[in-house]
Amino acid sequence: MRRYEMVYIINPNLDTESLNEVIAKFTDIIAKLKGSVLKVHEWGKRKLAYEVKKFDKGYYVMCDFCGGPNTVNELERNLKLDDRVLKYITVKIDEDVDPEQLMREEQKQETVAEESNDQAIEET
Amino acid sequence: MAYDGRGKGAFVKHRICRFCADPSLAIDYKDPKTLAAFTTERGKIIPRRISGNCAKHQRILAIAIKRARNIALLPFTTAKVKIKEY
Repeated sequence: MRRYEMVYIINPNLDTESLNEVIAKFTDIIAKLKGSVLKVHEWGKRKLAYEVKKFDKGYYVMCDFCGGPNTVNELERNLKLDDRVLKYITVKIDEDVDPEQLMREEQKQETVAEESNDQAIEET
Repeated sequence: MAYDGRGKGAFVKHRICRFCADPSLAIDYKDPKTLAAFTTERGKIIPRRISGNCAKHQRILAIAIKRARNIALLPFTTAKVKIKEY
């Protein structure tokens, strides 16, 4: 499996509910296409460097996932069809990765971060 | 500081590649602030002979800037630029 990173811009005028719906939709699509989502990171509303479809602001979402070339093809087709998505980019980060191992590493990092947080709280 | 020889010293030439000097400095298309330092105010990529980057890092940087332009983090060009009054 390959590791990819996808950044897409959603229409900023949507309410929180439909924003979450769009994000959930594409996360589901990856899962359906036998890919595994590692992390979804919302950057929030940002100013665009140039106008895109008459919008000067956009809601950025970054998604880190593993999958094959077919996953990306199908995902990009869906992104193109959705009017709520203004722009997207998919970048290949790594070839031949094991998604389960990456998942575990991700969880490990989170627990370490939590522990260090707990320690900091105890110290204070 | 080396002088470019042309213009009025708008660019100061750097002798050392900043990415080689500091390996912790990463080139990432998601980080427009760092990338913007290597573009002119018009949004053009600053050439290697002026930025001082090594060939390897300039190559990576150019790709990163182009990716950032693609998702509207950096401009392709800026129409409104303050033009110096002479």
